[in-house]
Order: sequence, then C-alpha cells, then structure tokens
Amino acid sequence: MEWTHTVTAVFLALGCLFSLAGSVGLLRFPDFYSRLHAAGKTDSLAQMLILGGLLFVSPDWGVSARLAIIALILFFTAPTATHAITKAARLDGLEPWTKEDSRRE
Amino acid sequence: MNEVLLVDSVLLFLVTVCAVAIIEVRSLYAVAMLTSVYSLLMALVWTNMHSMDVAFTEAAVGGGISTILLIGTLVHTRRDEKPAKKRVHVPALLVTLLTGGALIYGTFDMPRFGDPEATIHHYRVPEMMSQTVAFVSEREGKQAPPEGYEPPPRMVPTAAPPHGHDAAHGDEAEHAAEGADHGAEGEHHEDGGHHKHPADDFNGHVPNSVTSLLAAYRGFDTMFETTVIFTAGMALILLLRRPREEESTPQEGATLRGQVILRVMTKIFIPFILVFGFYVITHGEIGPGGGFQGGVILATAFILYALIYGRNALYRIISPKTLDVLAAVGVLLYAGVGVACLALGGKFLDYAVLDKVSPGDGEALGMTLVEYGVGITVCTVMIIIFNQLAEEPAKAKAS
Repeated sequence: MEWTHTVTAVFLALGCLFSLAGSVGLLRFPDFYSRLHAAGKTDSLAQMLILGGLLFVSPDWGVSARLAIIALILFFTAPTATHAITKAARLDGLEPWTKEDSRRE
Repeated sequence: MNEVLLVDSVLLFLVTVCAVAIIEVRSLYAVAMLTSVYSLLMALVWTNMHSMDVAFTEAAVGGGISTILLIGTLVHTRRDEKPAKKRVHVPALLVTLLTGGALIYGTFDMPRFGDPEATIHHYRVPEMMSQTVAFVSEREGKQAPPEGYEPPPRMVPTAAPPHGHDAAHGDEAEHAAEGADHGAEGEHHEDGGHHKHPADDFNGHVPNSVTSLLAAYRGFDTMFETTVIFTAGMALILLLRRPREEESTPQEGATLRGQVILRVMTKIFIPFILVFGFYVITHGEIGPGGGFQGGVILATAFILYALIYGRNALYRIISPKTLDVLAAVGVLLYAGVGVACLALGGKFLDYAVLDKVSPGDGEALGMTLVEYGVGITVCTVMIIIFNQLAEEPAKAKAS
C-alpha cells in the first residue's frame, strides 16, 4: 500500500468521525441554534477533510483542481447558509435556549 | 457482492426511506426539502451508473430549482398538510398492489444489472459510442470499444464536389422540400439523400453521445420538451400576472437590507454561477450538461439576486418584457434551426446540411445552436415562474 492511500484513509476516517459527531449533536442538542451550530461547524470541517484526503489519490491535476474548487466553494457557501438560517430564525423571534428553560421542564 | 451494487443498494434504501418520509411528514416545508434530498440521492444513483447527464439534470432541476419553486408555491398556500383520515380504502389498495406487482413482474424481463449481454451494449449504442473522441484518441478512463467492433468508415470531407454531383444535389434538395410538403412521401430519401457520410457519424465533433441522442436522433422530442416548458411559463403568466399599476413598490429587499454577509457572498458567487451556467450550455456536446441544466443554473443566479436584492433590482437588469420575449426567442431559435435545415434542402432538424463542406461540423453547429435555444427558454421561463410566484403576496398585501 502506498503512503498516499494511508494518508487518504486517515483523512476520510477523520472526516467521517466529524460528520458523525455533527449528526449526534444535531439529534442531541436542546434547541435550534445549538443544533445548527453542531451541524454547521462539523460539516465544514468534515467536507474539507474528505475532499482534502481525496486530493492525495487524484489521478491528475484536473481532478485535483476540481476537488480544490469544490472544497473552496463549500467552505464559503455552507457557513453562509448556516448564517442565513440562523438569522432568519432570530428575525422570526426564536429565543435561544437557556438554563432556565431546562429547569422549567 | 460487487461495490457498485453495494453502494447502489444503500442509496436506493435511503431513497425509499426518503419517499416514505415524504408521504408521512405533515409539514409541507419539510416535504419540499425532502424532495430535494430525494433528487440528490437519485443523482448519486445515476452517477454510480455513470449516466452523468441524467445525474446532472436531476441535481440541477430536481435538487435545485424545483425546491425553490416548491417553497415559493408554499408561501401562497399553507405550512401543513390537512390531517388525512386514516382509513384503508380496499379497492385503491388492490389497484395499487396489482399495478406494483405488474411493474415488478415487468422488471424480470429486463437485463440483469451490469449485464454485458444486454441489448443496449450491442444495438446501435456501440456505433454511437464510436463517434466519441475516446475511441479515437484512446483517452484514459473511457470505455474501450467492444470486441470485434468495427468503427464505421470515417467521413471524407467533400471539399470540392464534382459538378455533376452538385447539380444532382440541387435536384434532390428540390425533391426533398417537395417531399416535406407531402409528409410521408419524403421517407424514401432516407438513404439516397445528401448524406455522403454514415448516418450516425458526426465526425467526432459531438463526443457526448447523450447530447447527439437528445439533440439529433430525438430532436423532435427535445424541441417539444422545450415547447412544454415555454407553455408552462406562458400559463403561469396568464394565470398569475396582474397588470402592474404601482411600479414602485418600496418593498425591495426591505428585510435583507442589513444582511451584509448574504449580500457580499451573493455578489461574490453570482459571476461564478453565471460562468458555470454558460459553460454548461456551450459545452453540452463535449461533456455532461446542455441547455436544460445550464439554463437552470443560469436561472438560479438571477433568482438568487432577486431573493437578496429584491425583485425590483432584478427588473432593473432584465425587465419582465425582455424575459417574456426571450422565452419565445429560445423556442424560435430551436425551430428556426429546423426551418433553416429545410431551406438548405435537408429535412427538419437535419443539421448535416448546415455545413456543405463537412456535415459533421454542420451537426455540431446545429446541436450547439439548438442547445442555446433550449438554454435561453429554460432560463427565462424559470425566472418568469419565480417572478410570478413571488409577485402574488405583495399584491395581496397592497389590496
């Protein structure tokens, strides 16, 4: 096995791990904002890791360039989408969860 | 079990889960998002089957624009589905089961997944695949020609046709035009016409066999698909457009004025979306993509602009009247190419006559023009539909 494959495998595994962590957070966190926080952050990191890992095994420069461009676009658009969703919720009047909320339940 | 089948099984399982969720979930916004997820999953399935054009269409149209339009429609209706009565309708269940059973029974006659003996690998398709540059230049990553396959003889450019041929050609052209008038009479020109090249040979100018299939072999289908989209846009205009009395509704982007991040990101990304859209339209005959996908991508750039900066800002760039006209121009361009072929002595949408010297170039030119037509119509109709959907609530508030 070549060293590039090992590097890719490590990167992919890390990416999957962060994705999984994000999914768990999405299910377990108490309110809208913290859930989006979990999903948004881990997604950006996971996609960078996965696409970055694939860079090591890409057959030629064309594929590498495409992977890099996709990673760059996602790096900018995904946080923007998260921001837009959160801002929309805030403007709609959704209050963030506080410790008082958990005591009241 | 091979990997392709494994990945496909997982994806199709997720698709099924998605479909069930779409039926069960009551919140219509969630359903709109789920249909988008469904389309993206299907796009992955198509990618797995190496049908890039279909995957591209599914992702752009199903995952992208139709979600926007669905949500736009939901603004006018309600958030939640009416709670349905939970009661089993026996005849309906029977009919569904019978239909489903018949469909599954029908699949037994289909070739096994990935079967090399399947008809599609032997009938016509190998000839069409041989037009691709892949076989000629033996590029890596493309399929090798099937065993025992002989490529059709390459077309020889008829740069200086002998005089006699020219005269004969003129005669034939007249005859062909006559035949077109009388409908089916033109049929027997099939073999003897101006085609000096094999009927399927585009001289390697249209490497993407899907495009040559859609734009040439099934040119009529594609033309009427474009017409259907045009008609949909017209229907929406007739149903929803009100006369615009008060031109200056001051609601433009009122809620998004403070959204610095969104405005900046939109400004950065719209040029890239536009360039990509144009690329997809103009390179439809070389790579995956074409008029439909490219048109949709172009439309999303305009819709994004309208969402962030308000519809009046969009109207300053491209007025509703221009959009209406352009929607018709696309269809007319498509049909016009067909008429031009007729005028040059060929059949309707028989692009080879567009270039007398090299019919292969003519095919490529015709297909490219037709793709432009499709792209223009699809793009403008999508913007029109979005505009009409967005127009309604503002008017309702005003009245």
